[in-house]
Amino acid sequence: MKQSPQEKKLEEILRSTKLVAGGFMGTDTRHPAEVVDDDCSRLEKLGLTAARVAARMRELTELAIPRLGGWIEAEPGKLRVKSEDFKGSLVCPWPHQGAYGKRITIAERMDIGKQLVWTDLNIHMIETHGFFEGKGAFFRVEPAEVAQILFEGLKTAQM
Amino acid sequence: MFQAILEFAFIILIISSIGAALAAILVFCEKYVVNYGPCKIIVNDEKELNVQGGESLLTVLREEKIFIPSACGGRGTCGVCKVKVIDGAGPVLATETPFLTKKEQADNIRLSCQVKVRNNIAIEIPDELFNVKEFHAVCAEIKDLTYDMKRFRFDLKDPPVIKFTAGQYLQLLCPQYQDNSEEVYRAYSIASDPSADNIVDLIIRRVPNGICTTWCFDFLKEGDPVRMNGPYGDFHLSDTDAPMVFVAGGSGMAPFVSILHHMQNNHINRQIKYFFGGNAVKDLCMADEMEAFEDALEGFDFTPVVASPEDDESWDGETGLVTEAVQRQFDSLDGYEGYLCGSPGMIDAAIKVFVALGMPEDKIYFDKFA
Repeated sequence: MKQSPQEKKLEEILRSTKLVAGGFMGTDTRHPAEVVDDDCSRLEKLGLTAARVAARMRELTELAIPRLGGWIEAEPGKLRVKSEDFKGSLVCPWPHQGAYGKRITIAERMDIGKQLVWTDLNIHMIETHGFFEGKGAFFRVEPAEVAQILFEGLKTAQM
Repeated sequence: MFQAILEFAFIILIISSIGAALAAILVFCEKYVVNYGPCKIIVNDEKELNVQGGESLLTVLREEKIFIPSACGGRGTCGVCKVKVIDGAGPVLATETPFLTKKEQADNIRLSCQVKVRNNIAIEIPDELFNVKEFHAVCAEIKDLTYDMKRFRFDLKDPPVIKFTAGQYLQLLCPQYQDNSEEVYRAYSIASDPSADNIVDLIIRRVPNGICTTWCFDFLKEGDPVRMNGPYGDFHLSDTDAPMVFVAGGSGMAPFVSILHHMQNNHINRQIKYFFGGNAVKDLCMADEMEAFEDALEGFDFTPVVASPEDDESWDGETGLVTEAVQRQFDSLDGYEGYLCGSPGMIDAAIKVFVALGMPEDKIYFDKFA
């Protein structure tokens, strides 16, 4: 795959451990653009878009923030969420201004006990760059898990 | 046709190769051949440093024992090492703009790691940075405080003592380890007694996938050498007699331990109500130390608060959010000073509560995890 110098530089940053431990690409050997395209088509098959996923993640994070790290039920008895701040900030690897507090949100689909974990930087990267991180990255957000954990309840409610 | 495409591709390849070779030559010359000669750095219009040009401003200042806070070690990825460059820095680079607001750019704020010293430069830095030193130390003790928080004690070797104000912080150098190929610095509040000047204690909470805390928790061992620089920061006790409310959570405990030691050493008996919040009982720590401070400091009262005790935990103390406990215990905070250390969310919530209870905003001091 042909890459422009800017894309090469971006890939170098995404694979490096400069910004986050283990880098943003994990063990994924694909080019970042392929990761974005692949996740985008997975989302499409699931009836979702990156913008909708980011909006849902932000909604849940904002719901949890006032609990200062404690759980709150977003869907009573079905989905709970908590959000915790840690020291430091996370910087977007794309070349623009973007540093985010190290806030980690955990959403748990209570009936199956499955959790999804994301940072504020994940929300930004999904919303702005369509990037869910490479496979094996610590904060990789799997589109299928997003659908199952964050949207399952909404789907049921709509039916 | 095929022949023409091949020729075109060959020409592109040749041009690309020449471009790449020229770029490599430029980088090589910049690093090894070009001699910028002696340059002057004028600091705060009063101090003149004679340096050799060619390195970044951050590096040159560090060699002159002036330490600008930097979390990434000078790689242009953290945006922390900002200094005001009055003259001689050249235009703002594309690598800086992500970290500088328009106002900062208008005010000549630059990332010192991205500014290369090629000629004379005039800068302005806060006076406190002249007191910052680099310390070589040895990790003397690692103590578990909770399941995800430890206290690290470091014996200072060179220089062997540190002078700091209770409430200040240090930057700990996290070296390369395992898959982490970069050195980074991370800031941690000093938790030790300022009078015990040959050691420093840092209270560190594990950050999931954090570069530095993973090293501290999983790789750093007692006896290992470490490097740190500091002290930095202006979070400290005021010199009034006003009663105080402290609010902290997690590793936000650190500066308050140091402040309480300072008060004990100097027989400062101001009234203090300290609320320390955790989500569960397992998040609480240093109960014995706080009890000892309660015995030593007449006006000191420590109140741990648990948001929601887990099913297997027994707890008969304050429950709910730490800010709710403040609201339960005070009808008015008029005349009080507030001191906060913890997450941005907790600090924002506490400020709202303090202000609602009548505490003026200029009497609220905080150290935000940011």
